[in-house]
Amino acid sequence: MTTVPSALGPPVTASWRRELVRQQARRRLERRRRLGRVCTTLCVGALCLSLAPLVSLVFYIVARGLPALSLGFLVHTPTPEGIPGNGIGNSIVGTVIVVGLAMVMAVPVGLAAALFVVERPGKLSGVVRFVADVLTGTPSIAIGVFAYALLVLTIGYSGLAGSFALAVLMLPIMVRANEEAMSTVPLDLWEAGLALGSRRPRVVRSVVLRTALPGIVTGNLLAMARAIGETAPLIFTIFGSQFYVFRPTSPMSAMPLTIYDNATQLYPSAQQTAWGTAFVLLALVIVASVLARSWAGYLNRKARVR
Amino acid sequence: MTPVATADLCAGPAGVPGIRQSLERNRLRGNGRLYAGLRWGGAAVFGVVFVALVVTLLQESAADLGHMGISILWRGWRPAVGEYGAGVFIVGTLLTTAVALALAIPVGLGTSLLLAELAPRWLAAPLQAMVEFLAAVPSIVVGLWGLIILNPLFARDVEPFLKHVPVLDALFHGPPLGASILLASVVLAIMILPTIVALSRLSMAGVPLADREAGMALAATRWQVARRVVVPGARRGIRAAVTLAMGRAMGEAIAVTMVVGNNTALPHSLLSPGSTLGSAIVNSFSEALPGTLQKSGVVALVVVLLAISVVVNAGGQLLMRARTPPVPPRGPAGGGGASGNPPAPADSEIRL
Amino acid sequence: MNPVHEPDGAARADHTTATLATHLAQDADPAHLVTPRPAAGAAPAPAVTLEDVTVSFGQHVAVRQASLALGANRVTALVGPSGCGKTSILRAVNRLHDHTGGTVTGTVHLGDLDVYGAGTSPELVRSRVGMVFQRPNPFPTMSVFDNVVSGLRFNGVRSKSLLAEAGEAALRQAALWDIVKDRLRDPALRLSGGQQQRLCIARALAVEPEVLLMDEPCSSLDPVATGKIETLISELSAYVTVVLVTHNMFQAARVADDTAVFLLGDDRVGELVEFGSTADVFRSPKEPRTQAYVTGHIG
Repeated sequence: MTTVPSALGPPVTASWRRELVRQQARRRLERRRRLGRVCTTLCVGALCLSLAPLVSLVFYIVARGLPALSLGFLVHTPTPEGIPGNGIGNSIVGTVIVVGLAMVMAVPVGLAAALFVVERPGKLSGVVRFVADVLTGTPSIAIGVFAYALLVLTIGYSGLAGSFALAVLMLPIMVRANEEAMSTVPLDLWEAGLALGSRRPRVVRSVVLRTALPGIVTGNLLAMARAIGETAPLIFTIFGSQFYVFRPTSPMSAMPLTIYDNATQLYPSAQQTAWGTAFVLLALVIVASVLARSWAGYLNRKARVR
Repeated sequence: MTPVATADLCAGPAGVPGIRQSLERNRLRGNGRLYAGLRWGGAAVFGVVFVALVVTLLQESAADLGHMGISILWRGWRPAVGEYGAGVFIVGTLLTTAVALALAIPVGLGTSLLLAELAPRWLAAPLQAMVEFLAAVPSIVVGLWGLIILNPLFARDVEPFLKHVPVLDALFHGPPLGASILLASVVLAIMILPTIVALSRLSMAGVPLADREAGMALAATRWQVARRVVVPGARRGIRAAVTLAMGRAMGEAIAVTMVVGNNTALPHSLLSPGSTLGSAIVNSFSEALPGTLQKSGVVALVVVLLAISVVVNAGGQLLMRARTPPVPPRGPAGGGGASGNPPAPADSEIRL
Repeated sequence: MNPVHEPDGAARADHTTATLATHLAQDADPAHLVTPRPAAGAAPAPAVTLEDVTVSFGQHVAVRQASLALGANRVTALVGPSGCGKTSILRAVNRLHDHTGGTVTGTVHLGDLDVYGAGTSPELVRSRVGMVFQRPNPFPTMSVFDNVVSGLRFNGVRSKSLLAEAGEAALRQAALWDIVKDRLRDPALRLSGGQQQRLCIARALAVEPEVLLMDEPCSSLDPVATGKIETLISELSAYVTVVLVTHNMFQAARVADDTAVFLLGDDRVGELVEFGSTADVFRSPKEPRTQAYVTGHIG
């Protein structure tokens, strides 16, 4: 066998080294395995710790929220403490209106800004991306205070101010998601469209938007799902209301706000209202998320069939 | 895909004489200008919103920022003497975030390692969906749960227990009240856990199969492959995940307000009730009347919070998007057998 | 593929056979191509013995009932068209199918060790069998040195001096020492593709394996790097038993002592059709299918 010149002490022959390595491998194997078992067990422990809060959360929302639910709870307006017939109908309507208006504001802007970024790579689109990144990281409470300073101080507490805040919250998420979806459209498709003599708006409308549609729908609906549950942008803007309000320029109520107001009260009935509202809110968020994914799946299937 | 789209573009069977005219008409209608206007408009609205955000917040906080100057960063919050500093809240924010990360990082990494590497796939997929479901739970709901379920549990069992643990008890003096820096940290840890798990699991799953097989062929155990090959290979994504989670923990306001205890004094232990920037904003905002120095002070807190989180998030985004280090890729491309993995696709940038 | 169905297949086959024959007959004795060693049957104790090995993935059978005895310190090439199970056989030797859902039946012996025996741990098998993959896959987060000694570390070797010595020896064996001795701390990915592949060979050799499995080690390299690796393979057989999967017949002819030919059966399942010394397999194949493949494929 070969002898290797070595700077570190006497040379070691290969066959001797092979013996040494084999010996080590045999001797240490049990220890290596035990280490693996211990660490895997620790990871399982970590998983349990991750799941424990979720399980507890879901358990309590169902256990305490479900008993609060009734048809009346979903359609009535709040009653003073101790008077039966309490409900959150106005909050549900408020959430739908505020979030709906926010979508109306954010979706077109998000699409246009994403097209801007995708079609004109350069300094300016870099700026738009940067703004999207900064806004994504902006705490939602800051957006709430911004909407307060900009709108509440001028037009007063209103559903509109809340919608604006939610729109600002959703915009960067939408821009990034739209951009992602559009940039997966192969370059060939853009070029094929242009080569056929189509003008750019046509290419965008028929090729890019159609191909990217599933991704765009998912991204926008997921942003909506997030906005539905947000409290911080609403807390300084829509003020809350005890009644059904349909006019966006008036103070309104929304489910996150109702939870916040009720949770901090000591009455058991208020807490029950909070749990019930949390149940409805979570259900709504889940429906929106599931819708986001399944709708995209449907659009994908449809595109493939045609 | 391509044929479908091309067919759409033709908008009718090929060779129909009307097409050219219709294209001409299109051109004359000036669709192009309208479309360009739309795109620019979208970008402009987006930009204006951002500028308005910065300007409005600076404007509203100008009074207090002028009054306090740089000392806003360390002075306390004492409305009685007209002092509106962020010092205590910055400490609270950093403290809760640090403890939350200390709790969430080991748990999150252990979980993602298990999901990405150690658990069989049929088990990992549903577990992962469950962990990530936590991300969809609105923060107000987590706050409600923390306030009504965790708070009494901490006051009765967890905090008295921690006071009896040797060594650690130095961190936990003071009465067990439930609502505290500690409870807020735990709630934050729960809220950032899905972020850490989702992103780091993703980057662990992105470690090439070829690297794992190289490890296995060298007689590494499953754990050794996970620890020595997969974790180092995913460290970039893990770092980004932690940074983004940190940004989220710092910016959370509502849930923290419900469990932190809302004390404006400097916390002296993890069991002290305290305040973070977010919770202080929520609490003080409605107390302060418009136009007062106090209101301006609250908005100044927002500015401080924004500054901190922009720095943290910008770091996270940079880490996320950073490309592979500038070294030549392994071997020339091509081949690509079962164990071959394509290089990370670059952003497909569309130029027209 | 089958020359019979091609109008000019016969002519082409003749031509290619002639080319290979000239290659083999250049010096009257093809010593420069086929190292003169005893034939497969006469080899001492086989290093690896496969008996009736079948590898399947779920319903799909990749290769069926292959039996091979790989002579110690010889280079054995596994050749055949893609999808005929060469790589599956290779990965059966170091139990790499354990983690990818492949099922191995039959027996594999590494010396006396029953590789799939009840008490055999895959780690101990793999510490005796090195492997080199299609594309160079040094650990991207490790330095050159850490890559070379990674196998030793995985196996529990801690001694710094032993690591340094074994690392140097392995790099010398892989003809890489002079190139990297001053940049042992550099990231492994700084090396060129061919150097990376030699680093992977060194990494496998550092554990002092008895058998080195090479899965088309040159498929992603340029001709110069390929030449260096081929020279290396011939030299390595002094220390280890080399099993080389390749789809390049010339490569097999250049470096292998023995050659095993795998082909797809009628039911699209790979099977071993011929095994013998390289000279025999190429010059006088016993099976007509081997003849057809060997002659049809070169060119």
